[in-house]
Amino acid sequence: RVTEPVARSGDGSASGTAINTTLRLTSDARLQGQTVLKRPDACKIWGLSGNCDLHTPKRYDHTSGTEEMAMEDKTKTGDANELWPHLTSVDHPGPQLEALAKTRDLHVLDVAFARLLDEANPVRRLRDEFLYPTMKDVGVEGGSSDRKCIYLCGSSLGLQPKQTRTLVMEELDKWAAKGVLGHSGPKSRPWVTIQTTVKDEMARMVGGEPIEVSVMNTLSVNLHVGMVAFYRPTQERYKVLIESKSFPSDYYAVQSQLQMHGFDPDEGIITVEPRENEHTLRTEDIVSVINTHGHSIALVLFSGVQYYTGQLFDLHAITAAAHSQGCKVGFDLAHAVGNVPLKLHDWGVDFACWCSYKYVNAGPGSIGGLFVHERHATDFSIPRMEGWWGHELKTRFEMANTRQLLPGADGFQCSTPPVLLTVSLLASLNIFSKTSMDELRATSVVLTGYLELLLQLIYSKKDHGDITDINQPYVDIITPSDINQRGAQLSLVFSVPLRDVHTELSKQGVVVDMREPNVLRVAPVPLYNSFEDVHTFVTLLGKAFEKSTETAESVR
Amino acid sequence: MLSTERMDMEDKDTTGDNDSVWAQLVGAEHPGSQLIVLAKSHDLHVTDIAFARLLDKTNPVRRLKNEFLYPSMKAMGVEDGRLDKNCIYLCGNSLGLQPKQTQTLVMEELNKWASKAVHGHTEPKTRPWVTIQTTVKEEMARMVGAEPLEVSVMNTLSVNLHVGMVAFYRPTPTRYKVLVESKVFPSDLYAIQSQLQMHGFDRDDGIIAVELREKEHTLRTEDIISAISTHGDSIALVLFSGIQYYTGQFFNLRAITAAAHSKGCKVGFDLAHAVGNVPLKLHDWGIDFACWCSYKYVNAGPGGIGGFFVHEKHATDFSISRMEGWWGHELKTRFEMANERQLLPGADGFQCSNPPVLQTVSLLASLNIFKKTSMDELRATSV
Repeated sequence: RVTEPVARSGDGSASGTAINTTLRLTSDARLQGQTVLKRPDACKIWGLSGNCDLHTPKRYDHTSGTEEMAMEDKTKTGDANELWPHLTSVDHPGPQLEALAKTRDLHVLDVAFARLLDEANPVRRLRDEFLYPTMKDVGVEGGSSDRKCIYLCGSSLGLQPKQTRTLVMEELDKWAAKGVLGHSGPKSRPWVTIQTTVKDEMARMVGGEPIEVSVMNTLSVNLHVGMVAFYRPTQERYKVLIESKSFPSDYYAVQSQLQMHGFDPDEGIITVEPRENEHTLRTEDIVSVINTHGHSIALVLFSGVQYYTGQLFDLHAITAAAHSQGCKVGFDLAHAVGNVPLKLHDWGVDFACWCSYKYVNAGPGSIGGLFVHERHATDFSIPRMEGWWGHELKTRFEMANTRQLLPGADGFQCSTPPVLLTVSLLASLNIFSKTSMDELRATSVVLTGYLELLLQLIYSKKDHGDITDINQPYVDIITPSDINQRGAQLSLVFSVPLRDVHTELSKQGVVVDMREPNVLRVAPVPLYNSFEDVHTFVTLLGKAFEKSTETAESVR
Repeated sequence: MLSTERMDMEDKDTTGDNDSVWAQLVGAEHPGSQLIVLAKSHDLHVTDIAFARLLDKTNPVRRLKNEFLYPSMKAMGVEDGRLDKNCIYLCGNSLGLQPKQTQTLVMEELNKWASKAVHGHTEPKTRPWVTIQTTVKEEMARMVGAEPLEVSVMNTLSVNLHVGMVAFYRPTPTRYKVLVESKVFPSDLYAIQSQLQMHGFDRDDGIIAVELREKEHTLRTEDIISAISTHGDSIALVLFSGIQYYTGQFFNLRAITAAAHSKGCKVGFDLAHAVGNVPLKLHDWGIDFACWCSYKYVNAGPGGIGGFFVHEKHATDFSISRMEGWWGHELKTRFEMANERQLLPGADGFQCSNPPVLQTVSLLASLNIFKKTSMDELRATSV
């Protein structure tokens, strides 16, 4: 391997002629960003000829390309806001990012470009709302230990809003000072009606009417609530359709529901499988399975975003197909809520459930959510596990034992709400109410597109023709490249042992999630991750590869 | 606006005296007449405030009073109330007072989340979240007279009531009724009715309520047993509260359980008002299942986490119906994502979801106080 570091010169050299496909970090790489990665020729990687600036890479399906960008060649880095609309209005941000870098005399791999993007990103205004683990917190000693670690694990547990502890302490103080009167004390968040503080924003985030949403329980419990209501099998129509490699909890939940109704889970569950050599599901295949088996399917139950592959399913199409076959439809939105815009009402979804500790940043094990479509709101024949909290407030405490269910999702409640969990959610929703899912999504698309681009430029599997690269670790991104089929997360598979890479990354202060058997999940979250975080991650990934290769070599 | 009134009790000189006073009170069939006699022997009348103060000095449980935070008169809106005087809070059966340690433990978890984030699940030094239930399970089990295997801290009371009914309300066309007490708590009634409905039975026809005798407010155990004997063949489940929310009656759980089992019925109890209030022996009494909340006598805060008991005799019966989720599965394979069923034995096998951390440590703060005493000691004072 070539080992000479490349110094970054002030005037840049973005002519696209620096051809050097090997990869090495500067020997004294620092997190602060003097690090420069060598710049492989993107065109060569993508198998194109000619000047890649002007070609739309084959990988992407759009035709607008870089030719249509009307960008002046600015020498100043100001007017960052002008950049943003160009990045967020295209089919895929990748080529736009490259073209944009060029107009700024930067290469897309430069940390200066990451910083430019950070300046341009309007959502950066919300970064201060959160608390960040430091390098030291995650076990990295040394000079930079007070800096933020590189936390790209929000798909597993989101970071804590600064306001969380304030609201939690307010409730604890209220309990201490008021005791039981906290239920009805009119001044702040009486506990009896505390759900009203979170319901509207939660509904907005999922594209539901307030009547369609209830904040309660946990995800898996709500999944059962939804299935009790909408998995109503008959002898002929009793099957449940789910995705291949569904999350275990969902799978067990479905199995147990089948068993409770007297059906054999092995026979009653249909999974939609990926095509050979593919990792994700094609919408047409999902729809095709629904059409083929629909008459025997009672319930179609999918995740919104697949936890393993990161695929965002087409909930609209799946719902329409399912309904056309007379099936009910439910979604587990654990990885979708707070991640991608949702339109549960418009799409006609029967029910959905989610947790709030991932992209909704409400803390470990925090409160769940349930959606039930408005068209079911006053159908009180729908089976449900009742409890007093699902009943009308005005008569709830009369103890007359006369059934008066609330309409909508609230009629599926059982119990008094957990106060500390509710205000933990409130602290997070207060941040979401300062933006919108559309705005977050716009940033997310660029942020994840940027991550994808860097990974592809540096760690794509190289052509076999280039013998210098045969031993180079590479990364396979199994998440779809189509932005409409993914959220923030990319699922990465490596050509070197996953565990080694994960261990090395952790030592460098990178927090990402490893999922058996093969995947590293990297989820840059628009609310609190920066483009520079992503740049640093990619830099440190290189180091991790080096270390794991060294280890492998020394073992040999 | 908390009371700053000191709860310290002075006066060590009369310890010997106090013990003997206490011994006379505890162990009597009823404290009433003992109290009168005791007052006389101290030249007091039982209605004197000095007598109340004497009793306070002798009460061994007073040592735990400092563990709690007390609303002040002023905080409760008493116009000229002194900030430093406790209000008279006799509402612990609705919402228990807050242990002082609650805020500390909650902040520890919030700090852990802020600094460790996802590593908090596995960080071994303090209460890793993946196994956080272990911090509360044993004491919770002790409080209800159960083995740890029989108890799981999870969900909320009403959800756990449904968990218990899914498991143990398994009706047939001839044995489908549920026996309840008169004036059953609404949540329990709706829960039972909805379970009946889900099984295709009529919400009203399927419920038998043991009724009060004329002019009486509480149920006689013999009448409960008589109802079980009479209707037992058609009863699938006997479901009572431990302590009746309205009358405060503490039922004879052992006798009810024995009678129910003798007629082939399953037995479950809603222990909302019983846990932390009276000693329980769920294991010895052979109860099939029980559920409770933790915000009453267990002082874990508004909407605090629930509890669930399933008798050991059912621990490895994996044919028992349940609403499964990953958290009810063996830890060592839970994260392998192989989708292979490996239920935990006992109550934990009925779990769905990963536990709510703030709720769990709120309970822990309270159980840390219960650990310094016992249900028997608390009961003695309570009586």
